[in-house]
Amino acid sequence: MCASNVMPGTTLGGIRRIRKDSSAAIAQLARQRPTEPVAWNEAEAIRRAQAGDAAAFEFLYQMHSRRVYALCLRMVSNPADAEDLAQEAFLQLFRKIGTFRGESAFSTWLHRMTVNVVLMRLRKKSLPTDSLEETIDPDAENSGPKRDVGAADLRLSGAVDRVNLERSIEKLPPGYKTVFVLHDVQGFEHNEIANIMGCSVGNSKSQLHKARTRLRELLQEEVRDQARQERQAAKSQTGSLD
Amino acid sequence: MQCKELEAVLEQEGLAPLPPAARAHLAECSACQDFLADLTALQSLAQELPAEANPPERLWVSLRAQLTAEGIIRESVELPAGTPWWQSFTAWLRPRTLATAGAGIVLLVTAVFLSRNPIPLPVARISNPPVTSPVAAPVVPPAENSSLTPRPSPTEEAMANGGVVLNQAELDVPNMQLAGNATVDASLRDNLRTVNEFIAECQQHLKQHPGDLLAREYLESAYQQKAELLAAMMDSGGSEH
Repeated sequence: MCASNVMPGTTLGGIRRIRKDSSAAIAQLARQRPTEPVAWNEAEAIRRAQAGDAAAFEFLYQMHSRRVYALCLRMVSNPADAEDLAQEAFLQLFRKIGTFRGESAFSTWLHRMTVNVVLMRLRKKSLPTDSLEETIDPDAENSGPKRDVGAADLRLSGAVDRVNLERSIEKLPPGYKTVFVLHDVQGFEHNEIANIMGCSVGNSKSQLHKARTRLRELLQEEVRDQARQERQAAKSQTGSLD
Repeated sequence: MQCKELEAVLEQEGLAPLPPAARAHLAECSACQDFLADLTALQSLAQELPAEANPPERLWVSLRAQLTAEGIIRESVELPAGTPWWQSFTAWLRPRTLATAGAGIVLLVTAVFLSRNPIPLPVARISNPPVTSPVAAPVVPPAENSSLTPRPSPTEEAMANGGVVLNQAELDVPNMQLAGNATVDASLRDNLRTVNEFIAECQQHLKQHPGDLLAREYLESAYQQKAELLAAMMDSGGSEH
Protein backbone atom coordinates (compact mmCIF):
# COMPACT_ATOMS: atom_id res chain seq x y z
CA MET A 1 0.00 0.00 0.00
CA CYS A 2 2.58 2.44 1.04
CA ALA A 3 4.74 1.59 -1.92
CA SER A 4 2.06 2.89 -4.20
CA ASN A 5 1.98 6.20 -2.37
CA VAL A 6 5.49 7.12 -3.36
CA MET A 7 5.59 10.59 -4.80
CA PRO A 8 6.32 11.05 -8.44
CA GLY A 9 9.71 12.22 -9.67
CA THR A 10 11.37 15.41 -8.64
CA THR A 11 11.29 17.15 -11.98
CA LEU A 12 9.75 20.54 -12.54
CA GLY A 13 6.85 18.73 -14.09
CA GLY A 14 6.71 16.50 -11.05
CA ILE A 15 6.28 19.47 -8.81
CA ARG A 16 3.40 20.73 -10.86
CA ARG A 17 1.94 17.26 -10.75
CA ILE A 18 1.99 17.18 -6.99
CA ARG A 19 0.41 20.58 -6.83
CA LYS A 20 -2.42 19.76 -9.14
CA ASP A 21 -3.22 16.24 -8.05
CA SER A 22 -2.09 15.11 -4.65
CA SER A 23 -2.25 18.50 -3.07
CA ALA A 24 -5.72 19.13 -4.37
CA ALA A 25 -6.78 15.72 -3.15
CA ILE A 26 -5.36 16.34 0.29
CA ALA A 27 -7.03 19.71 0.44
CA GLN A 28 -10.26 18.01 -0.47
CA LEU A 29 -9.69 15.52 2.28
CA ALA A 30 -9.11 18.29 4.77
CA ARG A 31 -12.31 20.01 3.80
CA GLN A 32 -14.25 16.74 3.57
CA ARG A 33 -16.01 18.22 0.60
CA PRO A 34 -18.49 15.89 -1.04
CA THR A 35 -17.83 15.01 -4.65
CA GLU A 36 -19.71 17.18 -7.03
CA PRO A 37 -22.23 15.16 -8.99
CA VAL A 38 -21.44 14.63 -12.65
CA ALA A 39 -24.25 14.08 -15.07
CA TRP A 40 -22.76 11.17 -16.98
CA ASN A 41 -23.94 7.66 -17.48
CA GLU A 42 -21.53 4.78 -17.09
CA ALA A 43 -20.91 4.37 -20.82
CA GLU A 44 -20.01 8.04 -21.19
CA ALA A 45 -17.72 7.86 -18.18
CA ILE A 46 -15.97 4.78 -19.59
CA ARG A 47 -15.47 6.53 -22.93
CA ARG A 48 -13.99 9.54 -21.22
CA ALA A 49 -11.82 7.41 -18.94
CA GLN A 50 -10.46 5.63 -22.00
CA ALA A 51 -9.32 9.06 -23.15
CA GLY A 52 -7.64 9.65 -19.78
CA ASP A 53 -10.15 12.04 -18.24
CA ALA A 54 -9.41 12.26 -14.52
CA ALA A 55 -12.98 13.18 -13.62
CA ALA A 56 -14.30 10.11 -15.44
CA PHE A 57 -11.97 7.85 -13.46
CA GLU A 58 -13.21 9.37 -10.26
CA PHE A 59 -16.82 8.98 -11.40
CA LEU A 60 -16.28 5.27 -12.09
CA TYR A 61 -14.45 4.83 -8.83
CA GLN A 62 -17.22 6.52 -6.85
CA MET A 63 -19.79 4.43 -8.66
CA HIS A 64 -18.25 1.04 -7.88
CA SER A 65 -15.83 1.43 -4.99
CA ARG A 66 -18.32 0.66 -2.22
CA ARG A 67 -19.26 -2.72 -3.66
CA VAL A 68 -15.69 -3.62 -4.55
CA TYR A 69 -14.44 -2.64 -1.12
CA ALA A 70 -17.29 -4.55 0.56
CA LEU A 71 -16.43 -7.66 -1.44
CA CYS A 72 -12.75 -7.39 -0.53
CA LEU A 73 -13.61 -6.75 3.10
CA ARG A 74 -15.83 -9.80 3.28
CA MET A 75 -13.26 -11.95 1.57
CA VAL A 76 -10.30 -11.06 3.78
CA SER A 77 -12.03 -9.68 6.92
CA ASN A 78 -9.29 -7.14 7.42
CA PRO A 79 -9.80 -3.48 6.51
CA ALA A 80 -6.15 -2.80 5.71
CA ASP A 81 -5.92 -5.82 3.40
CA ALA A 82 -9.28 -5.00 1.87
CA GLU A 83 -8.12 -1.48 1.10
CA ASP A 84 -4.98 -2.81 -0.47
CA LEU A 85 -6.89 -5.30 -2.59
CA ALA A 86 -9.49 -2.78 -3.70
CA GLN A 87 -6.74 -0.43 -4.79
CA GLU A 88 -5.01 -3.19 -6.71
CA ALA A 89 -8.27 -4.15 -8.41
CA PHE A 90 -9.00 -0.58 -9.49
CA LEU A 91 -5.43 -0.10 -10.62
CA GLN A 92 -5.66 -3.14 -12.84
CA LEU A 93 -9.02 -1.99 -14.12
CA PHE A 94 -7.88 1.51 -14.98
CA ARG A 95 -4.66 0.28 -16.54
CA LYS A 96 -6.68 -1.90 -18.88
CA ILE A 97 -9.67 0.34 -19.40
CA GLY A 98 -8.54 1.11 -22.92
CA THR A 99 -9.16 -2.53 -23.82
CA PHE A 100 -12.73 -2.59 -22.48
CA ARG A 101 -15.06 -3.16 -25.43
CA GLY A 102 -18.29 -3.72 -23.56
CA GLU A 103 -18.70 -7.44 -24.26
CA SER A 104 -19.66 -7.88 -20.63
CA ALA A 105 -21.02 -5.40 -18.13
CA PHE A 106 -18.43 -3.06 -16.71
CA SER A 107 -19.38 -4.13 -13.20
CA THR A 108 -18.83 -7.78 -14.09
CA TRP A 109 -15.45 -6.95 -15.59
CA LEU A 110 -14.45 -5.03 -12.47
CA HIS A 111 -15.64 -7.79 -10.14
CA ARG A 112 -13.75 -10.39 -12.15
CA MET A 113 -10.56 -8.42 -11.61
CA THR A 114 -11.37 -7.99 -7.95
CA VAL A 115 -12.04 -11.68 -7.43
CA ASN A 116 -8.83 -12.57 -9.27
CA VAL A 117 -6.82 -10.16 -7.16
CA VAL A 118 -8.36 -11.46 -3.94
CA LEU A 119 -8.01 -15.14 -4.75
CA MET A 120 -4.45 -14.62 -5.94
CA ARG A 121 -3.62 -12.98 -2.63
CA LEU A 122 -5.33 -15.73 -0.66
CA ARG A 123 -3.45 -18.38 -2.60
CA LYS A 124 -0.18 -16.70 -1.73
CA LYS A 125 -1.14 -16.43 1.92
CA SER A 126 -2.81 -19.82 2.26
CA LEU A 127 -1.70 -22.16 4.98
CA PRO A 128 -0.58 -25.63 3.97
CA THR A 129 -3.36 -27.18 6.03
CA ASP A 130 -6.01 -25.18 4.19
CA SER A 131 -6.58 -26.77 0.85
CA LEU A 132 -7.91 -24.02 -1.37
CA GLU A 133 -7.84 -25.99 -4.56
CA GLU A 134 -10.84 -28.07 -3.73
CA THR A 135 -12.92 -25.00 -3.17
CA ILE A 136 -11.47 -22.53 -5.65
CA ASP A 137 -11.48 -24.92 -8.55
CA PRO A 138 -15.10 -25.12 -9.61
CA ASP A 139 -14.49 -28.33 -11.49
CA ALA A 140 -13.20 -30.20 -8.50
CA GLU A 141 -15.22 -33.35 -7.98
CA ASN A 142 -16.21 -34.89 -4.71
CA SER A 143 -15.49 -31.65 -2.95
CA GLY A 144 -17.73 -29.92 -0.54
CA PRO A 145 -19.61 -30.74 2.57
CA LYS A 146 -21.50 -33.99 2.86
CA ARG A 147 -24.93 -33.99 4.37
CA ASP A 148 -26.07 -37.04 6.21
CA VAL A 149 -29.15 -37.42 4.15
CA GLY A 150 -32.17 -38.15 6.26
CA ALA A 151 -30.33 -37.59 9.54
CA ALA A 152 -31.84 -35.34 12.17
CA ASP A 153 -30.29 -31.87 11.97
CA LEU A 154 -30.28 -28.96 14.32
CA ARG A 155 -32.84 -26.56 12.92
CA LEU A 156 -31.26 -23.18 12.38
CA SER A 157 -34.30 -21.08 11.71
CA GLY A 158 -34.60 -18.47 14.41
CA ALA A 159 -31.40 -19.60 16.13
CA VAL A 160 -28.93 -17.54 14.14
CA ASP A 161 -28.51 -13.85 13.57
CA ARG A 162 -26.37 -11.70 11.36
CA VAL A 163 -23.43 -11.82 13.76
CA ASN A 164 -23.39 -15.63 13.67
CA LEU A 165 -23.68 -15.52 9.93
CA GLU A 166 -20.86 -13.01 9.46
CA ARG A 167 -18.60 -15.11 11.67
CA SER A 168 -19.43 -18.28 9.78
CA ILE A 169 -18.92 -16.65 6.38
CA GLU A 170 -15.42 -15.74 7.52
CA LYS A 171 -14.71 -19.43 8.05
CA LEU A 172 -15.82 -20.48 4.59
CA PRO A 173 -13.11 -21.55 2.15
CA PRO A 174 -12.36 -18.80 -0.39
CA GLY A 175 -14.06 -20.40 -3.38
CA TYR A 176 -17.32 -21.00 -1.53
CA LYS A 177 -17.12 -17.60 0.09
CA THR A 178 -16.70 -15.85 -3.25
CA VAL A 179 -19.75 -17.44 -4.83
CA PHE A 180 -21.87 -17.06 -1.71
CA VAL A 181 -21.02 -13.39 -1.26
CA LEU A 182 -21.47 -12.60 -4.93
CA HIS A 183 -24.86 -14.33 -5.14
CA ASP A 184 -26.53 -14.13 -1.77
CA VAL A 185 -25.03 -10.88 -0.46
CA GLN A 186 -24.24 -8.82 -3.54
CA GLY A 187 -27.08 -10.14 -5.67
CA PHE A 188 -25.27 -11.26 -8.82
CA GLU A 189 -26.98 -13.80 -11.06
CA HIS A 190 -25.38 -17.14 -11.83
CA ASN A 191 -24.52 -16.17 -15.39
CA GLU A 192 -22.70 -13.09 -14.08
CA ILE A 193 -20.88 -15.13 -11.45
CA ALA A 194 -19.89 -17.65 -14.12
CA ASN A 195 -18.42 -14.75 -16.07
CA ILE A 196 -16.66 -13.36 -13.01
CA MET A 197 -15.30 -16.71 -11.83
CA GLY A 198 -14.56 -18.10 -15.28
CA CYS A 199 -16.73 -21.17 -14.83
CA SER A 200 -20.02 -22.53 -16.12
CA VAL A 201 -23.42 -21.53 -14.79
CA GLY A 202 -23.89 -25.08 -13.52
CA ASN A 203 -20.66 -24.86 -11.58
CA SER A 204 -21.71 -21.59 -10.08
CA LYS A 205 -24.98 -23.13 -8.89
CA SER A 206 -23.21 -26.17 -7.54
CA GLN A 207 -20.64 -24.06 -5.68
CA LEU A 208 -23.37 -21.93 -4.18
CA HIS A 209 -25.27 -24.95 -2.93
CA LYS A 210 -22.13 -26.41 -1.38
CA ALA A 211 -21.32 -23.04 0.18
CA ARG A 212 -24.75 -22.81 1.76
CA THR A 213 -24.54 -26.40 3.01
CA ARG A 214 -21.10 -25.76 4.51
CA LEU A 215 -22.34 -22.56 6.05
CA ARG A 216 -25.21 -24.41 7.60
CA GLU A 217 -22.77 -26.85 9.19
CA LEU A 218 -20.64 -24.02 10.53
CA LEU A 219 -23.68 -22.30 11.98
CA GLN A 220 -24.89 -25.52 13.57
CA GLU A 221 -21.49 -25.92 15.20
CA GLU A 222 -21.69 -22.35 16.39
CA VAL A 223 -25.19 -22.82 17.82
CA ARG A 224 -24.10 -26.04 19.55
CA ASP A 225 -21.04 -24.28 20.99
CA GLN A 226 -23.19 -21.48 22.30
CA ALA A 227 -25.63 -23.95 23.86
CA ARG A 228 -22.74 -25.85 25.46
CA GLN A 229 -21.27 -22.67 26.90
CA GLU A 230 -24.64 -21.65 28.28
CA ARG A 231 -25.07 -25.07 29.92
CA GLN A 232 -21.61 -24.86 31.46
CA ALA A 233 -22.28 -21.37 32.72
CA ALA A 234 -25.58 -22.50 34.22
CA LYS A 235 -23.92 -25.53 35.81
CA SER A 236 -21.13 -23.49 37.37
CA GLN A 237 -23.70 -21.04 38.68
CA THR A 238 -25.67 -23.91 40.23
CA GLY A 239 -22.45 -25.32 41.72
CA SER A 240 -21.54 -22.04 43.31
CA LEU A 241 -25.03 -21.78 44.80
CA ASP A 242 -24.70 -25.26 46.33
CA MET B 1 -37.77 -39.22 -5.15
CA GLN B 2 -35.15 -39.83 -2.47
CA CYS B 3 -33.31 -37.35 -0.25
CA LYS B 4 -30.17 -37.52 -2.40
CA GLU B 5 -32.16 -36.76 -5.49
CA LEU B 6 -33.76 -33.78 -3.82
CA GLU B 7 -30.32 -32.48 -2.91
CA ALA B 8 -29.21 -32.85 -6.52
CA VAL B 9 -32.23 -30.83 -7.59
CA LEU B 10 -31.41 -28.14 -5.05
CA GLU B 11 -27.82 -28.07 -6.26
CA GLN B 12 -28.72 -27.55 -9.90
CA GLU B 13 -31.99 -25.65 -9.69
CA GLY B 14 -31.62 -23.61 -6.55
CA LEU B 15 -34.13 -23.20 -3.76
CA ALA B 16 -37.22 -22.38 -5.75
CA PRO B 17 -39.34 -23.19 -7.55
CA LEU B 18 -39.03 -26.91 -7.00
CA PRO B 19 -40.42 -29.50 -9.40
CA PRO B 20 -43.52 -31.47 -8.33
CA ALA B 21 -41.58 -34.64 -7.52
CA ALA B 22 -39.31 -32.70 -5.16
CA ARG B 23 -42.28 -31.06 -3.49
CA ALA B 24 -43.88 -34.44 -3.03
CA HIS B 25 -40.76 -35.76 -1.30
CA LEU B 26 -40.54 -32.70 0.90
CA ALA B 27 -44.09 -33.21 2.08
CA GLU B 28 -43.07 -36.58 3.49
CA CYS B 29 -39.47 -36.01 4.71
CA SER B 30 -38.97 -33.86 7.80
CA ALA B 31 -35.15 -33.93 7.49
CA CYS B 32 -35.32 -32.48 3.99
CA GLN B 33 -37.89 -29.97 5.18
CA ASP B 34 -35.44 -28.80 7.87
CA PHE B 35 -32.61 -28.73 5.36
CA LEU B 36 -34.55 -26.61 2.91
CA ALA B 37 -35.86 -24.33 5.67
CA ASP B 38 -32.32 -23.72 6.89
CA LEU B 39 -30.98 -22.93 3.43
CA THR B 40 -33.87 -20.57 2.81
CA ALA B 41 -33.29 -18.87 6.17
CA LEU B 42 -29.60 -18.53 5.36
CA GLN B 43 -30.35 -16.95 2.02
CA SER B 44 -32.78 -14.47 3.56
CA LEU B 45 -30.34 -13.55 6.29
CA ALA B 46 -27.49 -13.12 3.80
CA GLN B 47 -29.60 -10.75 1.72
CA GLU B 48 -29.87 -8.51 4.76
CA LEU B 49 -26.10 -8.17 5.01
CA PRO B 50 -24.78 -4.90 3.58
CA ALA B 51 -23.59 -5.29 0.00
CA GLU B 52 -21.66 -2.04 0.16
CA ALA B 53 -19.10 -0.53 2.50
CA ASN B 54 -17.53 2.89 2.33
CA PRO B 55 -13.81 2.66 1.66
CA PRO B 56 -11.58 5.20 3.42
CA GLU B 57 -11.17 8.47 1.53
CA ARG B 58 -7.44 7.94 1.29
CA LEU B 59 -8.02 5.02 -1.05
CA TRP B 60 -8.98 7.31 -3.93
CA VAL B 61 -6.21 9.78 -3.04
CA SER B 62 -3.66 7.01 -3.16
CA LEU B 63 -5.14 5.45 -6.27
CA ARG B 64 -5.23 8.75 -8.07
CA ALA B 65 -1.64 9.52 -7.14
CA GLN B 66 -0.60 6.16 -8.53
CA LEU B 67 -2.60 6.60 -11.73
CA THR B 68 -1.19 10.07 -12.20
CA ALA B 69 2.34 8.86 -11.60
CA GLU B 70 1.80 6.21 -14.26
CA GLY B 71 0.44 8.81 -16.66
CA ILE B 72 -2.91 7.04 -16.97
CA ILE B 73 -5.09 9.97 -16.02
CA ARG B 74 -4.89 13.67 -16.73
CA GLU B 75 -6.87 16.68 -15.68
CA SER B 76 -8.89 17.35 -18.80
CA VAL B 77 -9.13 15.78 -22.20
CA GLU B 78 -11.32 18.29 -23.98
CA LEU B 79 -11.24 22.00 -24.44
CA PRO B 80 -14.50 23.70 -23.67
CA ALA B 81 -16.61 24.67 -26.65
CA GLY B 82 -15.89 28.12 -28.03
CA THR B 83 -12.27 28.20 -26.95
CA PRO B 84 -10.16 30.47 -29.18
CA TRP B 85 -8.03 28.56 -31.65
CA TRP B 86 -4.76 29.79 -30.24
CA GLN B 87 -5.56 28.26 -26.87
CA SER B 88 -5.45 24.84 -28.46
CA PHE B 89 -1.65 25.18 -28.42
CA THR B 90 -1.72 25.20 -24.64
CA ALA B 91 -3.55 21.90 -24.76
CA TRP B 92 -0.41 20.41 -26.26
CA LEU B 93 1.43 21.39 -23.15
CA ARG B 94 -1.07 19.85 -20.77
CA PRO B 95 0.20 16.30 -20.84
CA ARG B 96 2.82 16.06 -18.17
CA THR B 97 5.46 14.50 -20.35
CA LEU B 98 5.23 17.25 -22.93
CA ALA B 99 5.33 19.95 -20.28
CA THR B 100 8.35 18.37 -18.65
CA ALA B 101 10.07 17.85 -21.97
CA GLY B 102 9.32 21.45 -22.91
CA ALA B 103 10.79 22.75 -19.68
CA GLY B 104 13.83 20.55 -20.20
CA ILE B 105 14.35 21.84 -23.74
CA VAL B 106 14.05 25.44 -22.58
CA LEU B 107 16.61 24.80 -19.84
CA LEU B 108 18.93 23.05 -22.26
CA VAL B 109 18.74 25.82 -24.84
CA THR B 110 19.30 28.39 -22.12
CA ALA B 111 22.31 26.53 -20.80
CA VAL B 112 23.83 26.31 -24.27
CA PHE B 113 23.11 29.98 -24.85
CA LEU B 114 24.69 30.94 -21.54
CA SER B 115 27.75 28.83 -22.14
CA ARG B 116 28.36 30.68 -25.42
CA ASN B 117 27.23 34.13 -24.27
CA PRO B 118 27.92 34.41 -20.56
CA ILE B 119 26.00 37.21 -18.91
CA PRO B 120 28.06 39.27 -16.47
CA LEU B 121 26.84 38.99 -12.92
CA PRO B 122 25.55 40.68 -10.93
CA VAL B 123 22.97 42.14 -13.26
CA ALA B 124 21.18 44.21 -10.70
CA ARG B 125 21.16 44.61 -6.96
CA ILE B 126 18.15 44.63 -4.79
CA SER B 127 19.66 47.33 -2.66
CA ASN B 128 20.38 49.41 -5.76
CA PRO B 129 17.49 49.09 -8.11
CA PRO B 130 18.22 49.77 -11.77
CA VAL B 131 18.02 53.40 -12.60
CA THR B 132 16.65 54.06 -16.02
CA SER B 133 18.90 52.18 -18.36
CA PRO B 134 17.05 49.40 -20.12
CA VAL B 135 20.37 47.61 -20.53
CA ALA B 136 20.91 47.19 -16.84
CA ALA B 137 18.50 44.30 -16.44
CA PRO B 138 17.14 43.38 -19.81
CA VAL B 139 15.98 39.85 -19.11
CA VAL B 140 14.68 39.86 -15.59
CA PRO B 141 11.01 40.75 -15.22
CA PRO B 142 10.46 43.80 -13.08
CA ALA B 143 8.16 41.97 -10.75
CA GLU B 144 10.96 39.63 -9.77
CA ASN B 145 13.90 41.94 -9.17
CA SER B 146 12.40 45.25 -8.31
CA SER B 147 12.39 46.33 -4.73
CA LEU B 148 9.14 48.11 -5.45
CA THR B 149 7.24 44.90 -5.95
CA PRO B 150 4.70 44.25 -3.21
CA ARG B 151 4.68 40.51 -3.88
CA PRO B 152 6.26 38.43 -1.08
CA SER B 153 9.03 36.03 -2.00
CA PRO B 154 8.36 32.27 -1.99
CA THR B 155 10.36 32.00 1.18
CA GLU B 156 8.35 34.68 2.88
CA GLU B 157 5.20 32.97 1.74
CA ALA B 158 6.44 29.65 3.07
CA MET B 159 7.35 31.19 6.39
CA ALA B 160 4.01 32.93 6.58
CA ASN B 161 2.31 29.60 5.92
CA GLY B 162 4.26 27.88 8.62
CA GLY B 163 6.75 26.26 6.27
CA VAL B 164 10.39 25.60 7.00
CA VAL B 165 13.26 27.40 5.33
CA LEU B 166 15.72 24.72 4.41
CA ASN B 167 18.96 26.67 4.41
CA GLN B 168 20.59 29.96 3.52
CA ALA B 169 20.20 29.15 -0.15
CA GLU B 170 16.48 29.66 0.07
CA LEU B 171 16.92 33.09 1.58
CA ASP B 172 19.18 34.05 -1.33
CA VAL B 173 16.86 32.82 -4.05
CA PRO B 174 14.70 35.95 -4.35
CA ASN B 175 17.83 37.99 -4.93
CA MET B 176 19.33 35.75 -7.54
CA GLN B 177 19.24 35.79 -11.25
CA LEU B 178 18.81 32.17 -12.09
CA ALA B 179 19.03 30.93 -15.63
CA GLY B 180 19.31 34.36 -17.18
CA ASN B 181 16.05 33.86 -19.01
CA ALA B 182 12.97 35.58 -17.76
CA THR B 183 10.66 32.72 -18.58
CA VAL B 184 12.82 30.07 -16.97
CA ASP B 185 13.47 32.25 -13.93
CA ALA B 186 9.79 32.83 -13.51
CA SER B 187 9.11 29.12 -13.93
CA LEU B 188 11.68 28.14 -11.31
CA ARG B 189 10.37 30.69 -8.85
CA ASP B 190 6.83 29.64 -9.60
CA ASN B 191 7.72 26.05 -8.89
CA LEU B 192 9.34 27.00 -5.63
CA ARG B 193 6.21 28.89 -4.69
CA THR B 194 4.14 25.88 -5.69
CA VAL B 195 6.18 23.55 -3.50
CA ASN B 196 5.96 25.97 -0.62
CA GLU B 197 2.21 26.20 -0.97
CA PHE B 198 1.98 22.43 -1.11
CA ILE B 199 4.09 22.12 2.03
CA ALA B 200 1.84 24.62 3.79
CA GLU B 201 -1.24 22.68 2.70
CA CYS B 202 0.23 19.42 3.94
CA GLN B 203 1.12 20.99 7.27
CA GLN B 204 -2.31 22.45 7.65
CA HIS B 205 -3.85 19.08 6.82
CA LEU B 206 -1.57 17.33 9.30
CA LYS B 207 -2.57 19.75 12.02
CA GLN B 208 -6.15 18.67 11.52
CA HIS B 209 -5.34 14.99 10.87
CA PRO B 210 -2.05 14.18 12.60
CA GLY B 211 -2.44 10.49 11.87
CA ASP B 212 -2.68 10.80 8.09
CA LEU B 213 0.38 8.90 6.94
CA LEU B 214 -0.23 9.69 3.31
CA ALA B 215 -0.08 13.44 3.97
CA ARG B 216 3.07 12.92 5.99
CA GLU B 217 4.68 11.08 3.10
CA TYR B 218 3.66 13.87 0.75
CA LEU B 219 5.17 16.42 3.08
CA GLU B 220 8.48 14.59 3.29
CA SER B 221 8.62 14.23 -0.47
CA ALA B 222 7.76 17.90 -0.94
CA TYR B 223 10.65 18.91 1.29
CA GLN B 224 12.92 16.65 -0.69
CA GLN B 225 11.74 18.23 -3.92
CA LYS B 226 12.21 21.67 -2.47
CA ALA B 227 15.78 20.84 -1.55
CA GLU B 228 16.47 19.56 -5.04
CA LEU B 229 14.81 22.56 -6.61
CA LEU B 230 16.91 24.91 -4.51
CA ALA B 231 20.02 23.00 -5.46
CA ALA B 232 19.09 23.32 -9.13
CA MET B 233 18.49 27.04 -8.67
CA MET B 234 21.86 27.49 -6.99
CA ASP B 235 23.56 25.57 -9.76
CA SER B 236 22.02 27.64 -12.48
CA GLY B 237 22.06 31.02 -10.81
CA GLY B 238 24.36 33.45 -9.11
CA SER B 239 23.98 35.75 -6.18
CA GLU B 240 23.22 39.33 -6.88
CA HIS B 241 24.69 40.47 -3.58
